[in-house]
Amino acid sequence: MDPLLLGGLIALATILVLFSGLSVALGLLLVSAAFLLAFDGPRSLELMPEVFFGKLDSFALLSIPMFIIMGASIASTRAGADLYEALERWLTRVPGGLVISNIGACGLFAAMSGSSPATCAAIGKMGIPEMLKRGYPEGIATGSIAAGGTLGILIPPSVTMIVYGIATETSIGRLFLAGVFPGLLLVGLFMAWSLFATWRQGGRRKELVRYYSWKEKFQIMPRVLPFVMIIFGVLYAMYGGIATPSETAAVGALLCLFIAVVIYKLWNPQDLWAILRDSTRESVMILFIIAAAGVFSYMLSSLFVTQSIAEWIGTLDVNRWVLMAAVNLFLLIAGFFLPPVAVILMAAPILLPIIETAGFDPIWFAVVLTINMEIGLISPPVGLNLYVINGIAPDISLKTILAGSIPFVACMVIAILLLCLFPEIAIWLPETVMGKAL
Amino acid sequence: MASFVAPSADRAGDSPPFVLAVEKMSTVAGWISALLIVSAVTITCQMIFVRFVLNGSTVWQTEAIVYLVIASTLFGLPFVQMLRGHVNVDLIPMWLPEKGRRRLLLLTLALSCLIVALMFIFGLEFWHQAYAGGWRSDTVWGVRLWIPYLPLPFGFGLLLLQLLSDLYAAAHRATVSPEQEAV
Repeated sequence: MDPLLLGGLIALATILVLFSGLSVALGLLLVSAAFLLAFDGPRSLELMPEVFFGKLDSFALLSIPMFIIMGASIASTRAGADLYEALERWLTRVPGGLVISNIGACGLFAAMSGSSPATCAAIGKMGIPEMLKRGYPEGIATGSIAAGGTLGILIPPSVTMIVYGIATETSIGRLFLAGVFPGLLLVGLFMAWSLFATWRQGGRRKELVRYYSWKEKFQIMPRVLPFVMIIFGVLYAMYGGIATPSETAAVGALLCLFIAVVIYKLWNPQDLWAILRDSTRESVMILFIIAAAGVFSYMLSSLFVTQSIAEWIGTLDVNRWVLMAAVNLFLLIAGFFLPPVAVILMAAPILLPIIETAGFDPIWFAVVLTINMEIGLISPPVGLNLYVINGIAPDISLKTILAGSIPFVACMVIAILLLCLFPEIAIWLPETVMGKAL
Repeated sequence: MASFVAPSADRAGDSPPFVLAVEKMSTVAGWISALLIVSAVTITCQMIFVRFVLNGSTVWQTEAIVYLVIASTLFGLPFVQMLRGHVNVDLIPMWLPEKGRRRLLLLTLALSCLIVALMFIFGLEFWHQAYAGGWRSDTVWGVRLWIPYLPLPFGFGLLLLQLLSDLYAAAHRATVSPEQEAV
């Protein structure tokens, strides 16, 4: 069979299997086994466990459970509430201070936890009721937190970026740095929209601004600083050439666990088990998808599908920006249905050769891809963050939350366009800190 | 998306001994998986201490850490399945009526059992080849490879049992909600 036609058949089967409710990892293994058996013979099935094991046989993968432990330790403490309170105290005099401090808290908590749903839950629990109490429109209160939460997969350290780095053999250090300015750009766009929308809808009618003394402002800092210092310490160790991302993440994980026990007094073995259980659940889920996606890409390459698609795209005489628009549309649609990790693992091996052939920077592409995935997190039908917000603010309808999120999707599209016009937003920092990529 | 259902939320009370035994086994596998991750964290920190503080050389640590993370992943498979933590997209079940949803759930569970059984059988064969052939890793440590390969049949074997238990529970359940569809 023609490899391109076979590729189409595989894509169709994969979509059908993944939408049937079968877990992503098992679905990928099933499709791989079926096509290997049908087109490569039963002997290739025997290699599946070896390929599966081989895909996990990498020291770089260690950073995934480590960063997840860091995030789970932080998420299980009062750190989110403390961070929220600290920003509230410091930004209370700024016009629209509450919504700005909420988005700022989301950005900072995202950097500490690396998880979008955890950011939504931690900041939203405090932020949404407070914003509603002060008369902010429901849509802005919920939309700003849903969108702010998505920053977790862009602002470093980000598990999504690590997975991209592993799937495409790109430097994780560069990817982390590439996410910094686009992350700040998104924070700025989210804040600008929230302020404008609040002003337009005549929000803050019942604003009860409380002014804090300098003493009160500094009093809260010791509760916030330890985790922030660990994050900066981890990033410094990585870029200072002291240790690899995996090694620094392990030290960070141990320190975060230590702080959770000592400062936040999580002595109880049940609390510690909850952190470990949540970390194990998430890292096993991601690593299982990574290994299964490894088997999937082995199948694609054994049946010459990957090579044929790259070759076919190379022969197409299309403008590189038209190609980029098509890739973005594909990622956007995939992100509506699939979790970011699954999209990256399935799409990156096929898309990266195309992107490189068209002369795009893979580090820049990682940022564009991640923002596409962020859109998926606040768009139906899957939109994980929408459901997290719905869980913590059950009185507000899902329709209102969704309507409130749509302008933030527009902010993300603007960010993608800005990144296309000015790629330096993403690549300037990694090239300045680490030099030009070879 | 992935739904997080308490393990015994829908099968408490009159669960048969097989389901209860598998649940206990998966929980123990989860503890082992968490312990293996903690060991990997500890050994990584020890390795950094030896390398940067004591200025010593590290021979076995990197390889051991990688194998511990792999073992943790494989031992964690049944535990995460028990917690319904393996991420999935239940788009088709959402569109189906109750009867169709139930049939699809049984079909997807049966297919999951099939693919996991294949991975278990070929994983066992792969492990046996390494054991019988006396394979060793080509590093200074030269670890006997049947040891790190052992979690492969173990993990998939336990996952198979958990899926069979889920299949049994699904077959005996009166109704299926979209949340319970998560395989």
